[in-house]
Amino acid sequence: MVNNELELLIDYVRRETGYSRAIEGDEDLLASEILDSFNIVSLAVFAQEKFGIEFEPDELVRDNLARLSNLVALIRRKRAEAAVKT
Amino acid sequence: MPASIPRYLTETAQAKPDKVAIVSGAQSITFGELYDQALATAECLRELGIAPGDRVGVCMEKTIDQVLAHLGILFANAVIVPILPRLKQPNIRHIIENSGMSAMITDAERLGEVAGFGDLIKLITGHGEISQDWPNLPYLRRFMQPRMFFDRISNDNAAIIYSSGSTGRPKGILIAHRNLAEGADIVSEYLGTREDDRIGCVLSFNFDYGMNQIWQTIRKGCTLYLHDLALPNDLFSLMSKERITALPVMPVIITKMFDRRLKVSTSAFDFSALRYVCTTGGRLSADMIADLRGAFPKARIFSMFGLTEAFRSTYLDPDKLDAHPTSVGKAIPDCQVMVLDDNGEECAPNVVGELVHRGATVNKGYWHDPENTAKVFRTHPRFPGETLVYSGDKVYRDDEGYLYFVARADDMIKTKGFRVSPSEVEAEVVRHPDIVDAVAFAVMNIAVGEDVACAYTTLSGKPLAEPVLRQFLKSSLPNHMVPAILMHFDGFPVTGNAGKLDRKAIKHAAFERLGIAPDTGITPPPVSTP
Repeated sequence: MVNNELELLIDYVRRETGYSRAIEGDEDLLASEILDSFNIVSLAVFAQEKFGIEFEPDELVRDNLARLSNLVALIRRKRAEAAVKT
Repeated sequence: MPASIPRYLTETAQAKPDKVAIVSGAQSITFGELYDQALATAECLRELGIAPGDRVGVCMEKTIDQVLAHLGILFANAVIVPILPRLKQPNIRHIIENSGMSAMITDAERLGEVAGFGDLIKLITGHGEISQDWPNLPYLRRFMQPRMFFDRISNDNAAIIYSSGSTGRPKGILIAHRNLAEGADIVSEYLGTREDDRIGCVLSFNFDYGMNQIWQTIRKGCTLYLHDLALPNDLFSLMSKERITALPVMPVIITKMFDRRLKVSTSAFDFSALRYVCTTGGRLSADMIADLRGAFPKARIFSMFGLTEAFRSTYLDPDKLDAHPTSVGKAIPDCQVMVLDDNGEECAPNVVGELVHRGATVNKGYWHDPENTAKVFRTHPRFPGETLVYSGDKVYRDDEGYLYFVARADDMIKTKGFRVSPSEVEAEVVRHPDIVDAVAFAVMNIAVGEDVACAYTTLSGKPLAEPVLRQFLKSSLPNHMVPAILMHFDGFPVTGNAGKLDRKAIKHAAFERLGIAPDTGITPPPVSTP
């Protein structure tokens, strides 16, 4: 299956940062300084709007956002939860 | 031993060797260990050929190993030259050449950016795994017998901190051991920093403000918690869990902590231990004060002001914040701050003059730059034989003696806690093949201080696609220097005689297009209502 969420997020990070080399899903983007403390928040806002979800305060932590694979897992979980509720 | 950080660490390590000095994630180090490891680092540097007075760069992530690099350099009688990790090669080369650096301590993440300088200077890794290519301090320390050979006097050089100037490349501010020791004493005196404090350190150790947190910790024997602020919740968790008592910040950090784009809730955390928040490096807005008070009702808020040439000049008594919310306060202990007119006479209350700083914390001058040093580090007939700092900044004093900042002397852009030189931005922008001229300037944005804006003209006469231009600039400029606002002009007005770019008219036109008053980006009002 094509990992659509991951590709959309990678595409966003590239546009936002101008970073042109390969980005891995499990790469810590803060440690590698591809993202800084300003645009990691933009990434969270983008993910909320793009995937129609809203993060709770305790979900907005480094562990969930610095690696895109973790963010994808969180997005999928939130969407699954929302689907159950409706 | 003379007044110096090596003396303060020696004393504190003897008095309380088992007290925890620094905590960084899962790692921690006691004062006894910090002392031994700093001496071992100094011994490594000596073995690697670092001589007394040598300039040694430090380009590292904020870790306990970075603190050990700084301390090791001081104990080795050498001089710390901090290098901002995000700097690009041309800027790093300037600092290497200008400082006459003999070695640089770096880490794996930054080797890519600095490895190319291996034939100019000795490269040493200060953190992480050993490799065959570079000597590694954490590995080498294990074989060193800690030995004390610090022999500087307090007037000797301890650090050179590079800071952007309005013309040309960054200038190095030369700091004596005495300055670092005075900074630790004075700041901990007026903030009331004490042994049982736990300081939450989100600041970078590449600037005097962040480094001063290390020096205060060493002086007072308190504990420093290192943290890189990315998401506010992570900082709040640390503060709550570790019962942080002191939080030094900058306005841009307050903006990040209470980012309006996020659902930030502080109610789940326990901040009852927090005694004070202190801030410097830009104006505090009414929103920022309200956010801090809302989240930390028990904390006192210290608003402070300083120049890199004299580290710190003023602070506002937290009890006066409501009465004088836009004031930068009064002089710090052991310093005098004067407001002088063009004749060197003290200005009457409410009359704007130049801020002149006298007393402790006056640094030694600009490294290898007698011309600029003579302009700023000067004498005054009333204080013969004494060097004062003439800041060039315009300030005034109210009837009660509280100082207010009016305007800077230079056209530096202060953004996200950095000083950005318009000429450095312009030099990179005009490297784009289609760009003819560029004029960079500040646009007020209180959330980050100021935004970097840049107007440009092109050969083709057409505007460039913004993402493309930004991407081009990001290859040579650190993120904070990439303009947030890019504006294409068909042509630039020039001044009559020499055909020079009429910067004033260009800025005026740009502000008009942005729909803001022409002077808001340049001169903050004398007294702004919150």
